[in-house]
Amino acid sequence: MASKSIRQATSGRERASEHEGFLRYRGYKWLKIALLISAVTLLIYAFNDVQPRPNGGSIYGYTTGTIGVGLILWLTWLGVRKRQITPGRWSLKSWTSAHVYLGLSLIVIASLHTGFDFGWNVHTLAYVLMLLVIGSGIFGIASYSLLPQELSANRGETTQVQMLDNLRMLDRQLNESAQPLDADGAAIVQMALHDDPFGGGLLARLTGRYPKCGTRAALAAVRAHAGRKEGEGDPLDHVEVLLERKRSALSRIRKHLRLKALLEVWLYVHVPLTFALIAALFVHIVSVFYYW
Amino acid sequence: MSFIVRTVARTADGRDIVRPKTFDKAELTVGRSPSSDIHLADLAVTLTHAVVRTAPGGYVEVVATAGLPFVVNGKQSEHERFSASQGADVRIGSHSLSFEAGDGDDKGAVIITVERVGAISNASEEKEEAHVFSLASTLPGKRVLAWSLALLVLAIFLIWPLASIHTVPTDQTRKVAFHADELWTSGKLSQVHKNLENNCQACHVKAGEAVRDSACVACHTKVHDHADPQKLAAAKGSPGFVMATKQLVGGVFGIQPGRCVECHTEHQGATRMPVTDERFCTNCHSDMSKRITTALKDTSDFGKHHPQFEPMLRLAAADGAPMLRRVSLDANAKEDNGLKFPHDLHLSTTNGVAQMAKTLGKGEGYGAPLECSNCHMRDASGSSFTTVKMETACGACHSLAFDQVGGTIRTLRHGDPAQVIADIRAFYRAGAPRNIAYQGMERRRPGDFASSGQRINFAQTSAMHIGNADDAIRAVFSKGGACYDCHSVRATGNPTTPFAVAPVSLTRRYLVKGWFDHAAHDTESCTSCHSVKGSHYAADVNLPKLAKCQECHGGQDAHKEVPSSCAMCHDYHRTGFAPLMVRDNRARGKALEHIKEKALTEAGGGV
Repeated sequence: MASKSIRQATSGRERASEHEGFLRYRGYKWLKIALLISAVTLLIYAFNDVQPRPNGGSIYGYTTGTIGVGLILWLTWLGVRKRQITPGRWSLKSWTSAHVYLGLSLIVIASLHTGFDFGWNVHTLAYVLMLLVIGSGIFGIASYSLLPQELSANRGETTQVQMLDNLRMLDRQLNESAQPLDADGAAIVQMALHDDPFGGGLLARLTGRYPKCGTRAALAAVRAHAGRKEGEGDPLDHVEVLLERKRSALSRIRKHLRLKALLEVWLYVHVPLTFALIAALFVHIVSVFYYW
Repeated sequence: MSFIVRTVARTADGRDIVRPKTFDKAELTVGRSPSSDIHLADLAVTLTHAVVRTAPGGYVEVVATAGLPFVVNGKQSEHERFSASQGADVRIGSHSLSFEAGDGDDKGAVIITVERVGAISNASEEKEEAHVFSLASTLPGKRVLAWSLALLVLAIFLIWPLASIHTVPTDQTRKVAFHADELWTSGKLSQVHKNLENNCQACHVKAGEAVRDSACVACHTKVHDHADPQKLAAAKGSPGFVMATKQLVGGVFGIQPGRCVECHTEHQGATRMPVTDERFCTNCHSDMSKRITTALKDTSDFGKHHPQFEPMLRLAAADGAPMLRRVSLDANAKEDNGLKFPHDLHLSTTNGVAQMAKTLGKGEGYGAPLECSNCHMRDASGSSFTTVKMETACGACHSLAFDQVGGTIRTLRHGDPAQVIADIRAFYRAGAPRNIAYQGMERRRPGDFASSGQRINFAQTSAMHIGNADDAIRAVFSKGGACYDCHSVRATGNPTTPFAVAPVSLTRRYLVKGWFDHAAHDTESCTSCHSVKGSHYAADVNLPKLAKCQECHGGQDAHKEVPSSCAMCHDYHRTGFAPLMVRDNRARGKALEHIKEKALTEAGGGV
């Protein structure tokens, strides 16, 4: 009991406020650095009169471009670095904090590198890919800071395995209680049993909408079944109760899946587009010097 | 033959429990009904799904009874017979019934092993928790996505253009169509180079080599240098730190300073070629005299620092021979065009000239006191004026008529003194001058004197009433005579052509180093710039001074009515044509509108 109370005390609100996440690492050290870099870049841009109009080929353009490429490659390196968790000044937390804020400052640096000279070409492609990568990163941070509470609230005290086991138990009960049913009744229950709780694809995961849900269809079919008898031990009555329970279990799982999907999906944009971005950057640099 | 049904059940910890049951029957029922011999608690199975029976010759027969098929050795069927000794694998719903012949104690019996092979529900199937609960189960892996996207980008944006560059011909046979290397463009080309949009290699000749002047000169064969390249380099002076660094870095990559593209930047959008920025001129010209010996004066801004205009004037040298020299308007510039012409007299609104013009009337193109446009005519370009011609501009008043034969008026030939003298002599040789009072029968009416017929009479009476030819010739070339009024006349001492007229040379263009467009100034009146109303001598150079222009024009970035960069009047590659900027009619909204309006009117569509 004693150990439990200590754990409760340390996992309470006070403990949470002492925790320093990567966003507020060292009093927003990297946010300040990123803001400083952006301000300096902006200031130089404002007073640098490039003729006939600002472009990536000016001295300023080459400078911001080089800084931008260096930053992008370094930011990408987090994918390697995150697998080595170390403490101290160059801790992973510090690294992640820098990744976030320097990544955001890239919006300023790269936009000014373009000189707002856009077109249907590989150069603008690289820029757009970069913005998508940064945008997905912002989405990731937002979901990491908002969704876990919701996820936890939805899950209650159960684990994923427990959720699945609960579903399996309901399926067994459904299977048993459907044994006396004729072929039609059995087919209805089969709809619920054959339904893949994890099916439905990306869209269903993200929206939490499963229009082809077998359990819901089975429930509707059972309720509309012509052979229902009033009272007196109709096996369909029990089936209906079980289907209702399965539906509610499924909806909790699916909310869980939706929240998890929202937590994960940004990385499916962030990581692949980063590599597409690096490829586009490579072509951007090659083409600029090929057709100098 | 008997059946032994061995039902296999699996415990939670994975152990199999086999429950054998022997049936001494020739036929067994299979179904979900609890009364079935082989009871399959499987919702995919109907209450009475099939029967299993023995058949003669050691065969076993499986027959569906509810019309729903089953699977025998992977083949769907409703009626199947097989040899008991060979056995078979029958699937009904999620259950497997494997038939085999018994041996040992069970010899002669058919053993049916019944086992559930499918999970009762999808959720009950084996699932890897970490996988199914994550998005990884619905999407391809991040690594796969990353590689495919990166390779896709490389294929479309690198391989395709490179392939296009190395396969598509660059000569005449090249098709005007999209070529993949256009994916590399950094912006649209200017309007004049639009036709090169599909042909990157026209300018980007060699891979990795910055555009060279040779690519420009390939088409622009007639553009000349601004000045001797060595003198240009000297005029530029030492570059600043930034410029020096740029040149140093450029030098490493073989980029020479002073390339065409330094000023003529391309890929700035489908606009007109941008007007050269003022700084490209003032870089050198603001203090060039410190660096090189030059006749050119320093200038840095039209509004603030521009030398006074120096028109090219025709002057008389010490020996009287004509010479051309540029003289500053500040130096009381006078020119020697060989003419006597008081502008003030002709532009008065009250004097005899004005009265004469009024009396000539609209029919003759007058009818009001003289205006500039009575004598000065625009040339075809609209930007300048044709030289004033005596016959059209002066002849209406300053008549050279001296005789009338029938209805035809004879005039002295302008511009040819020898001919004039000859004509007068011929006139006298033919007979005595006729007295005006006795010529013709018509009555003279008041106010009639200005008509052409009367003017002849007037001229005759004023000049030709003299008794002999020599006197008449002398009168014409002397004060009060037709020639002397406007021209400098000198006696030659030669009896055949006793008088000579100083040659007249009117200047068509005063400012030869710059450009001035009168059409662009149509919103102004002539006299708002040219102060001719007070000019009493033809020698007066009635050009407006710099300060006059500066009333409206300032430097490129000036807050004046017309901000004017150098390029408005000067061209870097000067030709006989107007500067590019003027030709483009840019930065001159008012003038542009005016020209459009004029064009419309001339085309008959104007209001």
